[in-house]
Amino acid sequence: MRLLPKEVESLWTLFTGPTIWAVHFLVCYVAVAIYCEKARTGPFTFAEMRLALVLVTLLALAGIVLSAWLAWRQWGFGSGDPPHDAPTREDRLLFQGFATLLLSGLSFVAVLFVAVPLVLIEACQP
Amino acid sequence: MTEVVAFQDLSADEREAQERKLREIWRTPCGWRYWTSVNNTQIGLWYGAAAFIFMLFAGVLALLVRVQLAVPENGFLSADLFNQAFTLHGTVMMFLFAVPIFEAVAIFLLPSMLGARELPFPRLSAFGFWSFALGGVFVCGSIFFNAAPNSGWFMYPPLATDKEYSGIGADIWLLGLSFIEVASIAAAVELIVGIMKCRAPGMRVNIMPLFAWYLLIVAGMILFAFPPLIAGDILFEMQRMFNWPFFDAERGGDPLLWQHLFWIFGHPEVYIIFLPAIAIMAMIVPTFAQRPIVGYSWIVLAAVGTGFLSFGLWVHHMFATGLPQISLAFFSAASEAVAIPTGVQIFVFIATLLAGRVIFSVPMLFGTGGLAVFVIGGLTGVMVALVPFDWQAHDTYFVVAHLHYVLIGGMLFPVVAGIYYYYPLINARKLSDRLGKIAFWIMFAGFNVAFFPMHLVGLRGMPRRVFTYPADIGWDWFNLVSTVGAFVFAAGVVVVVIDVLRPKHRQPKEQINPWNAGTLEWISEPEENWGVRSIPIITSRYPIWDQPDLLEDINAGRYYLPDAQDGARETLVTSVLDARPIQCLRVGGTSILTMVAAFSLGGVFIALTFHWWIVTIFCAVLTLAAIVAWLWTATAEIPRAEFRDIGLGKKLPLYNSGPRSVGWWGMFITMAGDGTAYASLMFGYFFYWTIHEDFTAGHAGPGVAWPLLAAGLFTLAWLAMLLARRVNASDRPGMTRAALLLSAALTLAGCLAGIAGPHRSGMDPTAHVYPAIVWVVAIWTVAHGAIGIVMQAYCLARSLAGRMSARHDMDMHNVVLYWHFLVITAVTSFGVVGLFPAVR
Amino acid sequence: MAAPLVLPGCAGGQSALDPAGREAAEVYDLFVVMVIGGGVIWLAVIGLLVHACRRRRRTWSEEGAGRLIAWGGVAFPVVALFALLAYAVWLMPSIRPWLDRSVPEPAMIDVTGEQFWWRIRYPAEDGMAAFETANELRLPVGERVAFSLRAADVIHSFWIPSLGGKMDMIPGRTNVLSLLPTKTGVYQAPCAEFCGASHAYMAFSVIVMDTKAYDDWRRRQAAGNRPGGSEGERLFAHHGCAGCHSVRGVTPVAGLGPDLTRFSDRRTVGAGALANTPENVARFIRNPSAIKPGATMPAFDMLSQGDIAAIAEFLTGRP
Repeated sequence: MRLLPKEVESLWTLFTGPTIWAVHFLVCYVAVAIYCEKARTGPFTFAEMRLALVLVTLLALAGIVLSAWLAWRQWGFGSGDPPHDAPTREDRLLFQGFATLLLSGLSFVAVLFVAVPLVLIEACQP
Repeated sequence: MTEVVAFQDLSADEREAQERKLREIWRTPCGWRYWTSVNNTQIGLWYGAAAFIFMLFAGVLALLVRVQLAVPENGFLSADLFNQAFTLHGTVMMFLFAVPIFEAVAIFLLPSMLGARELPFPRLSAFGFWSFALGGVFVCGSIFFNAAPNSGWFMYPPLATDKEYSGIGADIWLLGLSFIEVASIAAAVELIVGIMKCRAPGMRVNIMPLFAWYLLIVAGMILFAFPPLIAGDILFEMQRMFNWPFFDAERGGDPLLWQHLFWIFGHPEVYIIFLPAIAIMAMIVPTFAQRPIVGYSWIVLAAVGTGFLSFGLWVHHMFATGLPQISLAFFSAASEAVAIPTGVQIFVFIATLLAGRVIFSVPMLFGTGGLAVFVIGGLTGVMVALVPFDWQAHDTYFVVAHLHYVLIGGMLFPVVAGIYYYYPLINARKLSDRLGKIAFWIMFAGFNVAFFPMHLVGLRGMPRRVFTYPADIGWDWFNLVSTVGAFVFAAGVVVVVIDVLRPKHRQPKEQINPWNAGTLEWISEPEENWGVRSIPIITSRYPIWDQPDLLEDINAGRYYLPDAQDGARETLVTSVLDARPIQCLRVGGTSILTMVAAFSLGGVFIALTFHWWIVTIFCAVLTLAAIVAWLWTATAEIPRAEFRDIGLGKKLPLYNSGPRSVGWWGMFITMAGDGTAYASLMFGYFFYWTIHEDFTAGHAGPGVAWPLLAAGLFTLAWLAMLLARRVNASDRPGMTRAALLLSAALTLAGCLAGIAGPHRSGMDPTAHVYPAIVWVVAIWTVAHGAIGIVMQAYCLARSLAGRMSARHDMDMHNVVLYWHFLVITAVTSFGVVGLFPAVR
Repeated sequence: MAAPLVLPGCAGGQSALDPAGREAAEVYDLFVVMVIGGGVIWLAVIGLLVHACRRRRRTWSEEGAGRLIAWGGVAFPVVALFALLAYAVWLMPSIRPWLDRSVPEPAMIDVTGEQFWWRIRYPAEDGMAAFETANELRLPVGERVAFSLRAADVIHSFWIPSLGGKMDMIPGRTNVLSLLPTKTGVYQAPCAEFCGASHAYMAFSVIVMDTKAYDDWRRRQAAGNRPGGSEGERLFAHHGCAGCHSVRGVTPVAGLGPDLTRFSDRRTVGAGALANTPENVARFIRNPSAIKPGATMPAFDMLSQGDIAAIAEFLTGRP
């Protein structure tokens, strides 16, 4: 599978995972903020909005897994262990792959954390 | 594989001639002109010293607060003076110490750590410093006139918008600090470009010092965290000065908007303070573990992860404001998640120490002591991040204890460790081991005695910011103990100050790199201003450990740029990822213009505080003149030769434009910050829409026609700018000037159309928040249009003066970049105010 | 009379560590769990740190140290924080509708924060009339009560540490807080959001009583004072006190300052500033801002000692 060319070389790939987390977080927050203020006039119920946000969460998790997979590939599927400190382009790529993988992991966990309230909380206010 | 370098050895005479020339060019001026220096070592030192003086001042305020609270029903301070003291304590510690001290350390250390002569915009650093110093003195001085801000460092309206209560203090806070925020953003631009573009050749991102990684993230955070506060300040000051009701609930405003904007800044701020201190730890730990850091990538993960997550925490300062509980829970979740990268960093340090052989020293003592304190703060942080617990702990002394454990353990102790560690770079001598140990134990004991009881007294119901408390409520002993501890802690700080200030000329000089550290900052000699004698090729994370004879080769001038040409200060620009050299950059030298610009800008803010309108206008014009003069004389200069031989058989261009130039990056980053401030204003617009059933409250809007016309005119102006850049590139100066003029005319028309919308529908901004926010959005956009016209005029003048040509078109590229942002702003602004919430 | 219920001891309880309500107890349990867990974690981390700094010890391999980061710095915190988060979210009232939807909504007590006192309005309920009072809240034990919280001027925060968490009172917004007191007693409640010069002197008392005593008290409050024709009563109206303060049954309704109906039942004067004695009331009338900086009530030091004493006697019911 070659979704992206292997040679994508950019500092910004590092931020894919956290960016997905940020977008997911923002969508959840904005959706809830607007829903809870405008609930009386809105066409959705709380449960429907929750369901939609769960779908967004799954989408975000899928995106992070994809970014992790790409990073894993860049890391040579775990072939080169850290510390990746040689002054070569190759080690620099391995480093980026590994760091991106770690960040994807953190983002995955952070998205899961943010999903906890979606599962447990049932209303805007008690 | 390493590049093979063929050194060419010069004779001793030639070397000396080079050194003389370099020394002359990087010389610090004498006499009063000393203060016009822009060299990073001086600016860094002044910055640090000023921040430290502000810290001591704020510390004294804290002691006053503690004396007042030592016994119940105390009359030492009046309620009002107490409120001024705690407000100023928090404000000064946050804005005038914690953030600037990191800017100071970064400006001082980064160039040599990256193997650069200078940061790319030295005059910007100087401008930032002078803005900071002036703003700081202005804010601090207010308490001597009994006019200090007294509404808490968070300045919640409506208390802080109540002129009767807050007097002029709130204006001093808003304007003085806006001025300092400008300085912080200037530093952020400088650091981001410096770290990305000015590393020594070969210093790829995987071997760049961790300090630089941290600072890169922190500077990025500043760029997105400070602008929301600036936007908030604008709204706030508009309410105070002109009665526009942004936070007045009776006229559709909402005090909560300020809380959102303040904490969108305020929470990342905590990490902006914490990460640089941990960055210092990340330099100290490998030195004393005598081995490279274990888990370099983990640190990068932690820094980047914290940087992102820290923007999802702000509502945890607002858990008790009655927001929907599911929103609270989202922020609670993110606040728990941010503990993970924080924990990773601590474990990276422990792992590195375990894998090395530890030499225990004063910096390590402060470092590990700080960690022990910080971990407690981190654990209580996990507690207060849980919504139900926070409902009890919020706004009590528990939080006071928590935040001091975090900031003193996570920031002050590591900074003192940094002072003990890096002092030899300033003075070629170490600070005293004995005094250091004494200071540490006094501070450590005093700190815990002062702050640990606050956890308990907070849970026993003592709210924050009370100027006194009843005797029979069971808080007296806790408070007395805290006060004693605070004085002990202060005594420890005094010992550090004595150690730093005591004369050391009798102490023998240390050799270079006395701690036997591995990173590049240790090659610099305190006497020399040039940063590095020649710019080395770096092949390791710890070049001094791993690259044999590096020091000798650098100092023998065997690497790049060993000499100076054309009397210019020069450093190398390299590529972002692999640090391949791409340009020889000439940076600005000693100049008084930066000082003039900073002081006149300061004049603008100070005059605004006192509503001296004429002085304001005069200072604004002076600022503009100084900035234009500064740009005109020192940027985008067309070099005499296109290429420069940098040594080792390498030639680099002296002039680049577009994304290859540092100026373009500076503009891009500045505009990212500017765009964030704008986004915050638009957040306000939609915020008001969500909280009201009918956002307009029956007030007339600006209509559809005028706003859309304005958006269209701005788009045409942008197209004209694209045309100007294109014809300029094909060397048709006449056409270029015509296109610039056309674009300026279109912009002017766009600005007028933008104002015409709200003006012609008679929108009264004092009547309700809807007209007020529409006006603010329109004014923001039009003001940016006006700045755009100034830039076009500048390009026109450069073209007429022969300072801009087809090949040398940096100014044009930067202005077009500005226009990209401007056109997005204009189309969004006028599209939104014209079409939303409903076409009428 | 319900006087014996007002327990002795000048200050009531004001501690989150001594819970007297369901919410406070839940948070207290959470706190205990976290303190124990946090203590263990702190000792472990610092133990490792101290061990790492020892001179004579085995040096770890890089792989071993890397594993420490992965397990100690990542795996353990992720699991522990996840569990803690779920536990804490579980305690939030918004998941309760799902657990128990049958309980009817309690009637709301309106509380408004003003600089620097608390306006309290009890709703009409169970055949008892609605009434206004100030700076003292009485609640029945074992019954869930809900508060509707507003602010008149600046932001204040409503917090009864012994009963549960706090909730801000924000101009232009109405917040709701629901609490369940479980123990009778007297509790203190400070304003928890900085609100100006006398933020330190803005507190109210909470008296949790058994249901019968509570009903008696409500009835008495709703009935108001009985006109007695005393000198103090006359001076209260004559010197203009009644222009701002209502004493229901005696003076016409005036809403600017705290309602002083059945003031003799209250524990404090000046929203927690002083104990409710005739001397303190007199002191307060003479110069409120000497006691509470920034108080809006003007000084009445031009009145004679005798007049002030008479008014104080009228209010406190004691000479």
